Amino acid sequence: MTTVTPQRPGLAPRLTALSKLVELGPGRLDPKLMAEAESLLLRAGDRLKLSSEHTVVALAGGTGSGKSSLFNAVSGLELSPTGVRRPTTARTHACVWGLEGAAPLLDWLQIQWRHRFARASALDKGEGQLHGLILLDLPDHDSIRALNDNEADRLIGLADLVVWVLDPQKYADASTHRRYVTELAGHEAVTVFALNQADRLSPEELAELVIDLNDLLRREGVEHPTVVPTSAVTGRGVESLKSVIAAAVSRRRAAIQKLEADLRKLEQRMSAAMPVGEALAVPSAVDEARKMGLVDALCDAVGVPAVGEAMENIYVERSNRWVGWPYPRWIDRLRPDPIRALRLEDVSDEIKGIATGTVSAQAAEVTNAVQALAEGLSGAMDPVWRSAVHHAARSQLGKVPSALTKDLTEVAPQLDRVPGWWRLLKVWQYALVAAFGFGLLWITLGLLVPGALPPALELMGDTAALPWAALMTVSVLGLGALSGIASRNFVELGASRERERLEREMRRRVAGIAETMVVEPVERELARHHAFYTALRSLSS
Amino acid sequence: MNTAMDDGRGESPGEQTLRFRAITDDPPSSPPDPERDLEPDAGPDLQRDPGPDAVEPADDLTASGEPQPAKEDSVPDSEAEAAAELEPESDSEGEDPSEPEAEAVSEAVPEPEEAASEAEDASEGAGSSAEEGESRDGGEAREREEELPPEVVEALTSALGALRESVASLRFGLDLPGAEEARKASGELLAQLDDYVLPRVRMNTAPALIVVAGSTGAGKSTLVNSLAEKNVSRTGVRRPTTGVPVLVCHPDDRPWFAEGELLGGLRRLDQARSDAGPRSIVISSTEKLPQGVALLDTPDIDSVVEEHHEIARRMLDAADLWIFVTTAARYADAPAWNLLRLAKERGARLAIVLSRVQDRARDVVLKHFVRMLTEYGLGEIDRFVVGESKVADGRLPDSEVTDLRLWLAELSVDESRRAQAVRETLNGVLDSFRTRVPALAKHLETQIAFRGDLRRDVESAYLAALTDLDKAFRSGALIHGEVLARWQDFAGSGDLMRSLQLRKRARSGRQTPERIIAFRAALRTGLESVIVAAATRAAEEVNARWRHRAEAGAALAKGLERPSDDLVRHTGRAVAAWQEHVTELVRTEGVAKRSVSKLVSFDADALSLIFMVAMFSGGNVEGVPHRLVKALLGAESLRGIGAKALSDLRARIGMLFDEESMRYVQALDSAGVPDESAATRLYQATYNLEVAR
Repeated sequence: MTTVTPQRPGLAPRLTALSKLVELGPGRLDPKLMAEAESLLLRAGDRLKLSSEHTVVALAGGTGSGKSSLFNAVSGLELSPTGVRRPTTARTHACVWGLEGAAPLLDWLQIQWRHRFARASALDKGEGQLHGLILLDLPDHDSIRALNDNEADRLIGLADLVVWVLDPQKYADASTHRRYVTELAGHEAVTVFALNQADRLSPEELAELVIDLNDLLRREGVEHPTVVPTSAVTGRGVESLKSVIAAAVSRRRAAIQKLEADLRKLEQRMSAAMPVGEALAVPSAVDEARKMGLVDALCDAVGVPAVGEAMENIYVERSNRWVGWPYPRWIDRLRPDPIRALRLEDVSDEIKGIATGTVSAQAAEVTNAVQALAEGLSGAMDPVWRSAVHHAARSQLGKVPSALTKDLTEVAPQLDRVPGWWRLLKVWQYALVAAFGFGLLWITLGLLVPGALPPALELMGDTAALPWAALMTVSVLGLGALSGIASRNFVELGASRERERLEREMRRRVAGIAETMVVEPVERELARHHAFYTALRSLSS
Repeated sequence: MNTAMDDGRGESPGEQTLRFRAITDDPPSSPPDPERDLEPDAGPDLQRDPGPDAVEPADDLTASGEPQPAKEDSVPDSEAEAAAELEPESDSEGEDPSEPEAEAVSEAVPEPEEAASEAEDASEGAGSSAEEGESRDGGEAREREEELPPEVVEALTSALGALRESVASLRFGLDLPGAEEARKASGELLAQLDDYVLPRVRMNTAPALIVVAGSTGAGKSTLVNSLAEKNVSRTGVRRPTTGVPVLVCHPDDRPWFAEGELLGGLRRLDQARSDAGPRSIVISSTEKLPQGVALLDTPDIDSVVEEHHEIARRMLDAADLWIFVTTAARYADAPAWNLLRLAKERGARLAIVLSRVQDRARDVVLKHFVRMLTEYGLGEIDRFVVGESKVADGRLPDSEVTDLRLWLAELSVDESRRAQAVRETLNGVLDSFRTRVPALAKHLETQIAFRGDLRRDVESAYLAALTDLDKAFRSGALIHGEVLARWQDFAGSGDLMRSLQLRKRARSGRQTPERIIAFRAALRTGLESVIVAAATRAAEEVNARWRHRAEAGAALAKGLERPSDDLVRHTGRAVAAWQEHVTELVRTEGVAKRSVSKLVSFDADALSLIFMVAMFSGGNVEGVPHRLVKALLGAESLRGIGAKALSDLRARIGMLFDEESMRYVQALDSAGVPDESAATRLYQATYNLEVAR
């Protein structure tokens, strides 16, 4: 029989947050905590599905503290064998008040059939308030038998309410305190301490002991311990223990309280392992400035500014052969060539071939750029997350240089390109050269053989026209120089415009690659980081 | 009601009686009268209980000395003992050396084999007690086979001193699994050497120290109070009750403990004080305790106050005999059995007291407990049962402790037996060194090996980084990105050609073109980034490897995940210096080819850049830069410069990496692990100790 669980709003969202943590945690959260979170989630799911009408109360304690005697005293029957041999109980016994719906719960607790007992008739005896109680008598946790048996541990974890049965001899044992009591902070609502064998002490001694025990428990973080002195032998205190249990049973809240306490404890440990602190201040996305920084660094790795500059320089240098004033070139060519002097004639062609405008990325610089991004982003993070961010940033690092090279080669400048106007200007320059030659010829002829010219050329013989011819010739020369300078300026203008365009385009492509291959994986990790800490915070609130 | 437990005891009666005989050496002054009085009282009292069982031969360790009257059946024993009892009066010195042997033989008729060993025991006992007698009386020189002649003591002391020294110098700096245990073990070893072994070897005549240990609430203090008949140790319902060990002894023995070296490291107090630190001990004395034995009430071994466990352990380490107290409710507790296992490992003389036994449960509990003990191989230990009874004023009724009192009294009078018990425990402790010290050495070796592994990790990571760099230089990985673009710029824009000039044209005072500066800078950045990337990779590699190895590695690597902050700066400086060096090389050594220099002059800055490109283009000897520099510098000089430049670069990078890896080495060194010789010293000290024994 499963009914709708009466949950205080709070447990469900926190369990959701926990499941989120379990989902995001692997590889980030300590595996031990991770396993605990998983098992708590599983346990919570199971327990909330099972009967909420029942409250599982476990009697736990060291060997010889009188768990079984107390079990029998509470149930009023000799259900669990007691004895003087230590340890006595090796299997858990259960007694159920109100059987309906208890079977699946007992199955879940893995209580063997032959150790299950029912107290249905107890209802008649005015024990109605215990209806819904499943009382467990656990084996001890501190004998040499228990070294190889975690039955007690398992059920202490599963029970809704744990009654720690202590006795005057063993109440301060390290095996109880170090392993269990120090873990109980926050579990006050679902923990009761029964100081059994009170009959062995005088009233004054008992009072002293109760004070001492209270102090001890408080020192270990149990703020308001419920301590009930009992004696299974004389029956003293058994009724008050019963009423403490009955109160918990009738509230039907112990299961939820236990889960809440466990959740709180787990949350505290998680928060201690990974303090939320400033973690949520870490941005969940890569901001623009960092992106710019990365793109800049990647551009440097490809050498975008240098490529642009080289393109411009080479372009201008090359244009000189087309649009430049030809005379200096010719004069230059007359000079002895050092390359030729070194007998490396073919090298000069190759040198021209070097400037082909190939682009490639420097892998080491790419690595450093990505490293710097990850470093800057994860500086304030927990080391585990830091390395996760680094890992994400580098997830495709091996492919980035080749992708950059490939993508940017597509836009690499075509340096052997010759625009049409260059050709036109070349023709124009040569035309001017021809005109200059003609002018020279005119002057020469006019001066030397003014009369000997054929009639078709008699104008040339006209000495009056000679100064004009000279003027024209000089002008042609000047025109060539001027147009050379003008077109060079023009080429430079075009080249720098081309360079700007090229740089923009390259930058755009670099940014695209940076986005898909670096920023996106990093942002996925950042989002995970953010979601994790958000869940952790909502778990703790 | 108190009965010596007699289930499963297989000890022969002969052993005890034999040992008992050595009482002959008691100096006349030493047995105090109260004890003498006690014996006749105790004897009959005890006899009443085991009387019916007396048919069973064994089991009277608790009463082995006194109850001769009841032992008429074992004739030789009683004769021997009668003789022994007489001897103190009659025989003051000069005992015939052969006498004990002869007696031993005569007694050993039933079991010859045992007799042989017992004869040894007897002579040993006699020997040591002879020594005692000697030291007390100060005059007697006995040339019998003394157990510890002075030179042996000296040898043993010096061997132990050496062992102490080498243990004291141990450091387990790396938090490897087992390091905590090793630290604790070495601390314990040291404390035991100081507190017990060294004093015990030097003064093997000191009274026997009997340590009462056990669980909290087992009634240790109550037991000690009852035996001392004086409330020397506080009792109560609060757990844990006793925090400071309380030693109680006979007033005559008091100087031994108040001033002696035993437990020398502890502060002596006259009575328990609330401000008594963990390193103090209360010493009190009472006439009610027999001479020669001292009881030490210790803190518990299993309460929440964990310091107590350590104090208890330390006390146990200094004990000559252990009395282990447990209760009917506790006898199956895991800590109790851990302690029993320890006692067994150490070979300590042990007696067990099972207290708070209710009458109705007595038989069942006893039987079960004895079975457990037997399964544990402790079936033959002396056992005492104390019933659950009203504790008045912190003491048990006298009747409950009579057995134990007798046992103590017997130890007191029977010096040989006491000496033997002392010796057995000492031997057990010395034996335990055979395993404990090598275990420490073993862990030390683990640490040293681990440190070696970590150091190798560092070395191999940086070596791999160097190799990677070499490969990068050779494969032309450097001629990418900006370097490539600048090179294209340099070549394509005609600067390359312009940097070559015919000789006859005088150099105009031109300055280095911008492009060359940029090219140079690009090369530097490229080289820098390749080196930094390699160093980063190496740092990560070291980190990953250290983390992978153990927690301790991860802890050491903390703060060293990245290359040092100075790396980039240092690399920049190193690369710039290297470039300078190359330029200088080209300028000074590149003049070899006379035929060329007559024709062509070159700009050293530019040429060194071309040279670097050629160098980093790797195997591409057909490339422009390579052919250019070859033509300009000549193959011979090119090779020379190339080799020099490369080795210089390697050396500079090597220095950078050394600086980087030094950080890890320093982290390792600061962890503090001694070198290999420490482990060797430990083994050597153990060996020497064995030799000295």
